[in-house]
Amino acid sequence: MDIKFQIPAAAGFLATIEDRLGIDFQIPAVNDFLTAVLGVSVVMLTLALIAVCILLISKIIRIVEAKATKKTAEPVQTSLAESGAPVAAADGVNNGEVDLIGVDEKTAAVIMAIVSQKSDIPLNRLSFKSIKLLDSEKGGKAK
Amino acid sequence: MIEMAKEVLLRLVQESGFALLTWQEGVMLLVSFLLLFLAIVKKFEPLLLVPIAFGILLANLPGAGLMADPTGIMDTSNIVEGAHWYDTGVLRLIYTGVKSSIFPCLIFLGIGAMTDFGPLLANPISLLLGAAAQLGVYVAFLLARSFGFTVEEAASIGIIGGADGPTAIFLTGKLAPNLLAPIAVAAYSYMALIPLIQPPIMKLLTTEKERKVEMKQLRKVSKAEKIIFPIVVAVLCSFLIPSCASLIGMLMLGNLFKECGVTDRLSDVAQNAMTNIVTILLGLTVGATANGAEFLRAKTLLIIGLGLLAFSFSTAGGVLLGKVLYLVTGGKVNPLIGAAGVSAVPMAARVAQVEGRKYNPTNFLLMHAMGPNVAGVIGSAVAAGFLLMMFGK
Repeated sequence: MDIKFQIPAAAGFLATIEDRLGIDFQIPAVNDFLTAVLGVSVVMLTLALIAVCILLISKIIRIVEAKATKKTAEPVQTSLAESGAPVAAADGVNNGEVDLIGVDEKTAAVIMAIVSQKSDIPLNRLSFKSIKLLDSEKGGKAK
Repeated sequence: MIEMAKEVLLRLVQESGFALLTWQEGVMLLVSFLLLFLAIVKKFEPLLLVPIAFGILLANLPGAGLMADPTGIMDTSNIVEGAHWYDTGVLRLIYTGVKSSIFPCLIFLGIGAMTDFGPLLANPISLLLGAAAQLGVYVAFLLARSFGFTVEEAASIGIIGGADGPTAIFLTGKLAPNLLAPIAVAAYSYMALIPLIQPPIMKLLTTEKERKVEMKQLRKVSKAEKIIFPIVVAVLCSFLIPSCASLIGMLMLGNLFKECGVTDRLSDVAQNAMTNIVTILLGLTVGATANGAEFLRAKTLLIIGLGLLAFSFSTAGGVLLGKVLYLVTGGKVNPLIGAAGVSAVPMAARVAQVEGRKYNPTNFLLMHAMGPNVAGVIGSAVAAGFLLMMFGK
């Protein structure tokens, strides 16, 4: 199935290259084209299939995690409401009722972000009751 | 007495490296000096280039026989009668790790342990960019066939377009071991030259408006997703293309070490000590295959040229699919991240970031580009698996 390259203008140039490099330039056989097309398609389809699997798995995991979060969040909310402490809003976002004692809002925000990162719990699932500045001389308390 | 001294001196001179040196070995020694200069002074991929360059140097020392194969472990043309396996050159013995694919697979284990697939999981469409960036593999395959290379050699040359050194070594070791040195040198050289090769192609194929696109922040990926991903990919890819199981399997095992949270020690070893040891042995022995008599041929230059084309077409493939996604998503995808689909991690992603910032200083494309970048690692392994399935014995 190999066809010799026959365009007259290029033939001389190619002949020189062929001589110099000791090679024989050929138009690739139909089989080679098929292999290339098949190869591109196989890679594309395999990776597309992985993409679909990722989407499905992500969806399933997010549904399962959302259900688990809902289950654990309900009893906590009830107990906090009974104790009269500030609680997270129903949509999971903290309603902002945090007692700041000797701490400005900016510092409190930084502290909350650090706690979230270190504990690996998203901010919208954390509920802060109060943030209090420790007095190192008197030995203050933090909640 | 004087006669004897003369004879000894004459023998010393005759058997010294100076007398045995061929012109090919001399040239290869100069090439090794040049590569050492590039690695040490210019800092071109020094962790790989130093062992490769020194391997070239050692293999071309006249009369040293570090790659000697008297028992025909790999080359049966020079068998010496009565020779034992331990007479084999030390580098030839280490080279069995390349020939048997142990080293490339172990490197993949280390890469898996170092890779965060989070950006890919957050944006699975990246996988398509990683697939499109394998275009150069098949373009170079066709070009190599045009120049009269056998299908096995053409497939090995084409895989340079995957921009993945271990994959190129893995496939070439299986299909065309005679071309291992030029292909490995080309693959690693072009990986080092990514910041020079890719930007003109990215600029040529995209408009300024496209290059300025800011992409929205990626979602946070849960730990469960990161743990399930390597298991699913290993099973899926190996079921579809069994010949890529060794590369993908090791890549995903390394990633599972990293993500599962209970094998920190194994992950640490895979990422650091093991990868460093294997890199030394792999680089040294790949360099040692650059024997002057075989390396200094016109075909080597042709392979290096085809490798450059493969690399360029792969970059173009990724960028062009990026443009398609830009159109499909109504301008939400920056096509520059497509160029990161070639699997050179993380250099290609860094290039996308740098190019993006040139046109929009507030743009931050790195994490978006990491998705296609790690997808490219999977894509090139799948491409290699396909070629091995087609042409492997």
